[in-house]
Amino acid sequence: MSELAASKPETTEDNNNDNDSLTPSTFLKTVLGRPVTVHLSSSSRYTGILSCLDGYMNIAMEQTEEYEGGQLKAKYGDVFIRGNNVMYIATEKKIK
Amino acid sequence: MSSISAPLDLIRLSLDERVYVKCRSSRELRGKLHAYDQHLNMVLSDVEETVERVEVDEETDEVIVKKESRSVDMLFVRGDVVILVSPPLRTT
Repeated sequence: MSELAASKPETTEDNNNDNDSLTPSTFLKTVLGRPVTVHLSSSSRYTGILSCLDGYMNIAMEQTEEYEGGQLKAKYGDVFIRGNNVMYIATEKKIK
Repeated sequence: MSSISAPLDLIRLSLDERVYVKCRSSRELRGKLHAYDQHLNMVLSDVEETVERVEVDEETDEVIVKKESRSVDMLFVRGDVVILVSPPLRTT
């Protein structure tokens, strides 16, 4: 029991240190302006340059290509994706 | 794109322009954007709605994709059906 009690303050300390470590939102800041593929829960994918995103995970992208079942379906200049549809945001080395 | 700091700015810049909206259940809308809010509820005018239906021919088992279109003068779109909004191509 005494061990448990001793470990508690340590945990708090760790959480404080987490401020400078990698969190999902710091990752998202680093991928702004970079090529990404956004996977929607409907299984369609969007590849393009990530312009910006907000707390709802709404996404604005540039030079976007839409893929459904691996096939290119459409191209958009700018595109807004409503956050609730987003499943993954994957980084890309370059646009196909 | 330099004037954009939040994704919704993209929609704001498309006010009074024709936009393309991809909705749930294979529906697409093209129309002039009059108003929107943070839920992506939108009011569009001169709208063309396209619905894609996939049917299977019972005799040949062929998959047939049917596109049906209709026009609506004024349309309120509930935000939760919206998947994607694309503004018209800008030359700037």
